[in-house]
Amino acid sequence: MAANRIRSTALGYALLAPSLFGVVTFLLLPMLVVFWLSLHRWDLLGPIRYVGLDNWQSVLTDRSFATSLLVTLAFIAIVVPVQTVLGLIAAAMLARGLPGSGFFRTLYVLPWICAPLAIAVLWKWILAPTDGAVSTLLGHQIEWLTDPGLALPVVSAVVVWTNVGYVTLFFLAGILAIPEDIHNAARTDGATAWQRFRRITLPMLRPTLFFVTVTGIISAAQVFDTVYALTGGGPQGRTDLVAHRIYAEAFGAAAVGRAAVMALVLFALLVGVTIVQHLYFRRRISYDIT
Amino acid sequence: MTSPNRVLSGAIVYPGLAVGALITLAPFALGLLTSFTTARQFNTSAPLSWPKPPTLENYTGLASAGFGRALLVTALMTAVILLGQMTFSVLAAYAFARLQFPGRDVLFWVYIATLMVPATVTVVPLYLMMAEVGLRNTFWALVLPFMFGSPYAIFLLREYFRTIPADLINAARVDGANTLDVIVHVVLPASRPILVTLALITVVSQWNNFMWPLVITSGSKWQVLTVATAGLQSRYNAQWTLVMAATTVAIVPLIVLFVALGRHIVRSIVVTGLK
Repeated sequence: MAANRIRSTALGYALLAPSLFGVVTFLLLPMLVVFWLSLHRWDLLGPIRYVGLDNWQSVLTDRSFATSLLVTLAFIAIVVPVQTVLGLIAAAMLARGLPGSGFFRTLYVLPWICAPLAIAVLWKWILAPTDGAVSTLLGHQIEWLTDPGLALPVVSAVVVWTNVGYVTLFFLAGILAIPEDIHNAARTDGATAWQRFRRITLPMLRPTLFFVTVTGIISAAQVFDTVYALTGGGPQGRTDLVAHRIYAEAFGAAAVGRAAVMALVLFALLVGVTIVQHLYFRRRISYDIT
Repeated sequence: MTSPNRVLSGAIVYPGLAVGALITLAPFALGLLTSFTTARQFNTSAPLSWPKPPTLENYTGLASAGFGRALLVTALMTAVILLGQMTFSVLAAYAFARLQFPGRDVLFWVYIATLMVPATVTVVPLYLMMAEVGLRNTFWALVLPFMFGSPYAIFLLREYFRTIPADLINAARVDGANTLDVIVHVVLPASRPILVTLALITVVSQWNNFMWPLVITSGSKWQVLTVATAGLQSRYNAQWTLVMAATTVAIVPLIVLFVALGRHIVRSIVVTGLK
């Protein structure tokens, strides 16, 4: 019996060994290293020097980092509600189950499957002021990406365009999971389509709505490729999302220690969002996204 | 549903769905069109005119800009990560789902906790680690962080493996099968849907990966498609016909995959929340 247990333990760890190596080396160790780096100064090439809390102090009092966080917040505040509402509308249309719905559903996900970087480059041309598609169609030039007032809404619109199909899928699954009986009962009682949507569908979609919102926030808070290719964070930092700021700080300004501080701040914020999510799901164990 | 009701809702719904489809497809169609237009036509006549005649000059131009190699590197990187991630995730998930050993549950929660670690946060420390061991700008730097299995894949596989009837596994054991036999001949065939799902997720996310390859490689040697496309775009800012050919090359392989397996992909997204 004892021999059996030892064998089972050895086997268990043998099977786990590769993934454990991966988790420790590429997920846990980096978290220690990023904390360690936040206490050091490094320019990517030279020696690494200990500087105590200098990086923390300089980042937390840095106007451009505060701006970047605010820009990220504004970006999330545009992208998440808009993609959620559009996704809900699309799902409500698809849930009618009319012929061809499957085709449209699949089609809407297409942008989401493609490389965000390639999508951003595609839109960079579409929005180009002189020979872009939109300018050509409109017949006059608009500086979509270099106008300080327009840049963030436009970048947000590109991200919404990419995500709507993805959000739609979850709402569609949620709507189709609502028992037909409830709708039939309401119909018998004389409820109109709008009343049924308002009083049955929407309340029953609450868990889906929450899931879509939280994952939307977490992914929007990390958008990088789109900004990198569309605006490079400009004009005047108006689209300098925090993931892009971290990159620019480390690999543009070669201030790796400061980038480490920013990464940890982002991490803390994301963990906060995740904890809220867990607290919520603990109360609603009946929720099932499949 | 009665048929008049159906017609009515169709009259409202189809225009809405069609507008959505148009907004989704138009950018792709215009980009594709531009990629087959000569630079001369693009610059002299209206940028949106039909290519006369359609040309492949932009694609041959890409070949001389090193896109052939980038395509190869991307495919190889995706393949190696796919193979490693599937193999090692399956092994770990089997241990978590089917074996009893001390420390199992603690380790599982450690794996789950790492789901909260975002790639944006690990890029900077990983760069330092790779630089320290001299792996900057190598193929290994591209694949190592992703090829040892993903905690999320392990989590999903474990859930799935736990639903496989114990009798099925015990029967194989009685017939003298060892653990590897059991995994290969019993567990994997019974788990085909989730394996397809995970394979698709891995291919899509690795093929599209940008930030890590951008940071850890330099020059054309280990450049992947996304990095090559970004580089081309910033170098030839005004040569949109060439740049659109580049985005087409970056996107088309996944669109082909999508057309072939679209329904699987849609299902996979709902099951996993992909990415």
